Amino acid sequence: MEVINIEGLKRSYNTKTGVLNSKTKTTEALKGVSFNIKKGEIFGLLGPNGAGKTTIIKILATLLAPTSGTAKILGFDTYGQEKKVRPNINFIFGGERNLYWRLSARDNLLYFADLYKIDKETREKRIDYLLDLVGLTGRADEKVETYSKGMKQKLQIARGLINNPEILLLDEPTIGLDPVSSRELRNIVRTLAGKGHTILLTTHYMYEAEELCDRIAFIKNGEIVALNTVSELKKQLNQNSIIEVKVSDFSDDDISKLKSMKGVVEVSSYLKDDINNIKIVCETPLEIIKLMLEKFADKKIINLQIREFSLEDIYINLIGDGHV
Amino acid sequence: MYNMYAIKSSCLLQIVQSFSRATFKFCILVQPIFYSLMMYMIYQGYSHEHIISYVIIGSGLLSLWSSVCFSSAGDIQRERDMGTLELIMTSPVDFKVILFGKIIGNTLLGLIPLLISFIFITLFFKISFDVAHLELLILSLLLTVISFIPISLLIACCLTLSRQVRALMNCIEYPIYILCGIVFPIELLPVWTRVFSYILAPTWGAKLIRSSVFGIDSMQMFWMNVLSIVLVSAFYTIISLLLLKKIDKLTRINATLGVH
Repeated sequence: MEVINIEGLKRSYNTKTGVLNSKTKTTEALKGVSFNIKKGEIFGLLGPNGAGKTTIIKILATLLAPTSGTAKILGFDTYGQEKKVRPNINFIFGGERNLYWRLSARDNLLYFADLYKIDKETREKRIDYLLDLVGLTGRADEKVETYSKGMKQKLQIARGLINNPEILLLDEPTIGLDPVSSRELRNIVRTLAGKGHTILLTTHYMYEAEELCDRIAFIKNGEIVALNTVSELKKQLNQNSIIEVKVSDFSDDDISKLKSMKGVVEVSSYLKDDINNIKIVCETPLEIIKLMLEKFADKKIINLQIREFSLEDIYINLIGDGHV
Repeated sequence: MYNMYAIKSSCLLQIVQSFSRATFKFCILVQPIFYSLMMYMIYQGYSHEHIISYVIIGSGLLSLWSSVCFSSAGDIQRERDMGTLELIMTSPVDFKVILFGKIIGNTLLGLIPLLISFIFITLFFKISFDVAHLELLILSLLLTVISFIPISLLIACCLTLSRQVRALMNCIEYPIYILCGIVFPIELLPVWTRVFSYILAPTWGAKLIRSSVFGIDSMQMFWMNVLSIVLVSAFYTIISLLLLKKIDKLTRINATLGVH
């Protein structure tokens, strides 16, 4: 069952420059985006800054009107039927904002519970549960302004869950968090999905998307350039593997020899601490390694590993210059 | 029922948020004393009636308007900066209900400087404050304070649409002092400006308070003034409600809710 339907979504922003001779500049943030998200799915939206990720999240969160096209949540239009959408969703933006810093965590949650029309009995239990979930029970009655960045972000998660939303929109929720807090947050997201919540996530951290998302859409300049599961994206993109070699005394000639080997698709290298870090994209990694060991027997190979394409490689291939 | 909870909690949140800001504390606790002193110096040597009219009542209303104006206007921008404007605009409770709660909170806080001005002048300068019609003064004060709610609502509406809140906030403070007869009689102003005075609720509030204190020559005139403040406030309320209907759409079309 699909709970989010986006069809031909476009959004433009007008900005004015100059005072006397003012000019209006129109920027197309979304150029006709379409995708659907199933119930209970964690859907990742990846792309560079300014690609249109936050615009999609804001349209779904009923914060922005689309210029054209439709965005529907549970069958209701996010622009026009927002009253039916709002009780079923919530959104969390990364960073430390979106909270009342001069109130305690508990008071923040109590306030938003009132705004989401949660009855008194439910809200007491839910607030205690959420504070426990994000690990803020011990400091629940202290002012938010005394919290660390991580604690504020955890409180944002609790706030976003105050109405037990069927659909949760997360815009870079782990930005700036330390590794432990990020992992805790990822665990929370996974737990929520396990309980049937549908989650739309944007992130710049590829490992996070790879670890969490059931499906991923890559967005570039306001357009979806690829959409699938991580494994299917890897298959679709390439059947090749990557050999990563660390070797000393490797000249440009040696690189050229590598490139000319049969089965080698692409070679890139960089020098760090007098050691050449070489990345070889190839179809048959074992054969290439065998050949390499024969041809470069006099070289000191420090490390060698074969790996499949990572999500980061796919990202760079789709969003970047087409190379890995 | 849920709307009542939202009004109550928005009102309390507003009071806590505002009172934790040093600038606001200065505005409602210290500024009324400065205003009172300034008005006393201006009207020193004038009749007792002038001193009550423009020093006690005038500085009280001045302080009330100043705190209401600054908090209603500034708070929208603060909510925008904090990223909470987006949250309250998209919550299931109607934005106008939340705004109403916030304005009640601001107006209740605005009563503090009114009280401080009154206590400071009557005690510090030993000025007697005799009231001709206490029950009508209470009614007049109540109507004046309530009349500030739709004005604040109207200002907040306009400011929700615009990001240039701080500039507007500073622009709207002084015209009210001048046009509403708070610090001097409006009869001193050119006739053409009085049209603006009469469409501003504080003008009628100031008239009502003064007549309740000094005595009412014509009860018919007093009730006409009551009707005027009610009509002007009702007009603001209708305009605000119409604007609020538009705001939800316009802010989403123009993308003015957030700063990122």
